[in-house]
Formats: sequence, C-alpha cells, structure tokens
Amino acid sequence: MILSNEMNADKKMTPKRKKWFTRNDWTGYLFSAPLIIGVLAFAIYPMFAALFISFHQTSGLSLNGKWVGLSNYRYALEDPVFWQALTNTFLMGVLSVVLGIVLSFVLASLINNLKWNFGKNFFKAVYFLPNVVSAVATSLLFSFLFFPSKEGLLNFVLSWFGVHHPIGWFTNPEVSRYSIVLMSLWGALGYNTIIFLAGLQSVPRDLYEAAEVDGAGGYKKWLHITIPYLRPIFVFMLIMGTIGGMKRFTDVWLIGGTAGNPGGSLMTVVLYIYRNAFLASQMGLATAASYLLFIIILVLTAVMMLLNRRKDSLD
Amino acid sequence: MIQTADSKALRRKKIPVSQWILAIVLFLGSFIMIVPFLWMLVTSFDWGARLNITFPPKIWPEEPSIRTYEVAFTNIKMFRYIINSIIVSAGVIVVSSLSALLSGYALSKLRFKGASLVLLLALSTMMIPFEMTMIPQYLLFSKLGLLDNYLAFYLPALNYAFGTFLAKAFIDQLPSSLREAAILDGAGEFTVFGRVYLPLCTPIIATMIILLFLGVWNEMLWPLLVLKNAAKYTIQIGLAMFTYNNGINQQPSIIMAATAVSLIPVVVVYMFLQRYIIESIALSGIKQ
Repeated sequence: MILSNEMNADKKMTPKRKKWFTRNDWTGYLFSAPLIIGVLAFAIYPMFAALFISFHQTSGLSLNGKWVGLSNYRYALEDPVFWQALTNTFLMGVLSVVLGIVLSFVLASLINNLKWNFGKNFFKAVYFLPNVVSAVATSLLFSFLFFPSKEGLLNFVLSWFGVHHPIGWFTNPEVSRYSIVLMSLWGALGYNTIIFLAGLQSVPRDLYEAAEVDGAGGYKKWLHITIPYLRPIFVFMLIMGTIGGMKRFTDVWLIGGTAGNPGGSLMTVVLYIYRNAFLASQMGLATAASYLLFIIILVLTAVMMLLNRRKDSLD
Repeated sequence: MIQTADSKALRRKKIPVSQWILAIVLFLGSFIMIVPFLWMLVTSFDWGARLNITFPPKIWPEEPSIRTYEVAFTNIKMFRYIINSIIVSAGVIVVSSLSALLSGYALSKLRFKGASLVLLLALSTMMIPFEMTMIPQYLLFSKLGLLDNYLAFYLPALNYAFGTFLAKAFIDQLPSSLREAAILDGAGEFTVFGRVYLPLCTPIIATMIILLFLGVWNEMLWPLLVLKNAAKYTIQIGLAMFTYNNGINQQPSIIMAATAVSLIPVVVVYMFLQRYIIESIALSGIKQ
C-alpha cells in the first residue's frame, strides 16, 4: 500500500526526472543490508533447503541425494517412535503450559494485592530468579534433587509425609514426564508472573471503581473484570508456551540421553530430529520430521488464535 | 504516588490480617524457589558429597571445603568455557544490536521504497522454528568449513528481526526533525544515525544487550551442533558434555560446584540489573 502510494506521488510530482530509485532508497537498503542478508541466509534459505532435503534420501553431509518424494514424511508418520515423541512432547507441553498459566496468574494476583512495596519487588525478584538459570544448570540441579533413592531431597521431604517408598522421578517411565513438568514449572513460573503483573497494573482503575459501586467484592472483581481484561495475555502465553513446549530438547537430552530414557518416556520431537540428523545421518527423515513439527506448531497457533476470536464475537 | 500514600497510611494504621497471610504465603512459595539454589551451594562446598549425595540432606556441608571447586576447575575447563562464552556473547551482542539498530533506523526514518515489505518479511520469519532451519544451517557452516569457528554464531546473529522491531518502535517515537536539521547542516546519513539517534537509543540498546546476553549465555542446541572441539566449548555445552560423558548423577559436589560457577555471571548481572531485566522481559513479552 505504502509502496504504491509513494510511487504514484513520485510520478505526479516529478514527471520529468523519473528517478524511480532515489538516493534515499539506496541508503535505506544499505542500512537494512545486514538484516536482509541475515534473514535471507539464515531463515529463508534454510527453510527452503530443509524442504528440499526432506524430499531426498541423503547420505552423510551431502545435500544431494536421491529424490524420494514424500516417503520421508510417510516413514516418520508410520514410525512409532515419532508418535511416541509427539505424544510425550504434547503431554509435557500441555501440562506445563496450563499449570504454568494458572499458577503464575494466581501468584501475580497475590503479589499485586500486596501493599508492601519492598515485599512486592522482593517477591518479583525471587520468583523470577530461576528464569535466568540455563536449562543445563536446571537439569543438573534437579537430577540430584529428584534423585531416585531415599537420599534425594524431594524423596526425603516426602518421607516426612509418609511416602516411604522412594519415587524414581527420572528413572520410572510412568513418572519421568511429570517430573519434567515440575522442573519446568520451577524455571518458567517467574516469566509468566512478570508478564501477568505488567498486565494487572494496566487494568484501568475506574473499571474496579465502577464494580465497587455495584457492590462487587474482591473475588467478583477478579473474576469478572481482571480475568476478562487480561484475556489477550492468557492467549499470548498459551501460544508462546505451546510453541516453547513443542521444542523441548535440552532438559530431556541431558536427563534421558538420545534414547529419551527411561523407556522412551522422555523422547521428544526435537530429540527425534536431533537423533536422526546427527547420530543416524538421516537428514532427509530429520528435516521431514522438522517440517511436520512446523506444521503442528502453525496449526496449534492458528487454532488458539481462532478460539480467541470466536470468544470475542460471543461477548 | 498512590502506592506511597497507601503504605504511609498502612504504617499509621494496623496492617490487616489479610496482608499478613498474603506475605506469609508468598514467603513460603519463594522458599521453594530458593531451596534448589541453597542445596546446590551446600553440596558444592561439601567434600563429603564428591561421590554420592549425603544423607540426610544437610543444611551445612559435612566436610566444608573449596577443594570441590578446585577439582571442578581442573577436571572441567570452566575458566576456558567462561572466556569462550564471553567472547561469543560479546560478538553476538555487537552484531545483532548493530544490525537491529541500523535497520530499525532505516525502517523508521528513511521510509525507503519497500520498507514495509522488508519489515513484514523479517517479522514473519520469526515464526520459523530454529529447530527446522538448524539442519540446513549446520550443513551450510560445515560446507564453509566454519564448524568450531565462532563465525557460526556471529553470522546468524545478523538475523535479529525482533531487535529490529524493538529498535524501529523506539526510533518511531524520536522526532524526525532532528534528522532534517542535521541533514540541512550537511551531515551524512551515517553521521545522523551515529551522532544524533544512537545516543538517544540507550534504553533500547540496554534492553537488547540484556535479552541477547541471557539468550546466548544459556544457549545449548546450536553450540552442540557446531562446536566439536572441546577447547571451543561455551559454558553450557562444556558443562553438559562433562556430565553427559561421565553420566548424570555422578560426583554431586563437583558438578554442583561447576554449575554454581556457570551461574555466577548471570546471577551477578541479574542482581545488578534486576529491575532492568524484569522490565525488558515484560516489555518483550508484551511487544511480541
């Protein structure tokens, strides 16, 4: 739009010079050159290259292989390991996103209602601290806290409450995915809380005042004003959290290795991609799986955005 | 203003019970957040935990010693990894923020033909997951012979579309008349950018530095792909490979000492810039 308007304006005002590409335009592209080169070389090109590779049977590091059509996609979709990876990723992602949003919203509301300013900043800082800790450090730390014998801190604490049979947090395939969820809650809670707090402070005060006039109490105000007003933030977190959750790799790789131990319960989609690309040298299969991941992420994002819009029209 | 008036009123009156309950609940919760760090520190100073974690868990090390840290620094080349991570972070910060500021300035103030198209293209590539493009990128760098070379970090750093977005939004708020006046005085475009606008951009530069530093320092997957030589390892991959090769859950106090050291730079940065960091995160979250 802007482009065509400017062109028309140029034609009308300087019909004789016909300088289609001005000095200013050149400078603009010169200044944007680093960005444009970066985007072309490290986003657009690899996106198409990945698509190209996914249709080929490659060997080793060479890009050229035999054209095999969709058979890499078919292989991935028929591979039980891929489905296991997808199920695990989805389970861990959904649980950590939903629990994370609920917990951090409650936490942010509590902090926001605190009238003690020093305490407010202190709690903000403390709850956010785990967020700057890397996934590697978190995984190493929790591999000891969640030690599977009675020596582990969590099992020790649980023994006070009558759980005398130590839980194999990261060794029991039935439990390990939930342990990962607990661990990622510890790490990610602060991030959501900070964003919710920023949102809570943006709710206009006169909305609350109007509700008070109507006789609404604290809880009712929270339910009928705060939550609906913050809906865009909930949707944003749902989307960002789901995208992040679908890309889970570092923690499961470090704790469960490339096989996603125990018993494949920690196999995730990105781990599947990594394992096929860099251990099995199956670049074609790996890129096909990565395209499937991309499509899944796009569909999930689109569905969540649509749900948001439909709610809008209902209101 | 309202806040301070509130707290003064509180001091004069009695603090309501509900506020006490709130503070206690939050305090108990923050205890859960802090315990892992405390356990890490206690264990890291405990020579008695060099082979197995101690039982029952200790509030104070069984055999307090800093030998654990000595062992961590000799067995894991922590010092080297930290230097490497600083080099990589610094390079990425310079490349990414310059690329973002230059393009943000051009998109905001130059209004060149196709500017909106460039912005739209850059922003839409943010949707492409890195996990999808990492394989071709890896193949590209291995073909160029740039594995184990930090250019594998600096070159992709050119693509910092989110930074461009932040910079453009910030420069949009600065008056264009500054540029026009400087150009009338005969200044070139680079001078206008560097002398007039760049100094005004300090807040957004600080935000970008913080976000980039935290991102690069904690990055794990890309270094795992492109760094094969242990002398080139960044801190995360160095720490990860040590435990990966020796088995996780081994040598608690040594690993915890190394982990604690890996956290020092981020935690120090966090302590000093805590307010800035929290603001930056909130800003980036809302902008996205």
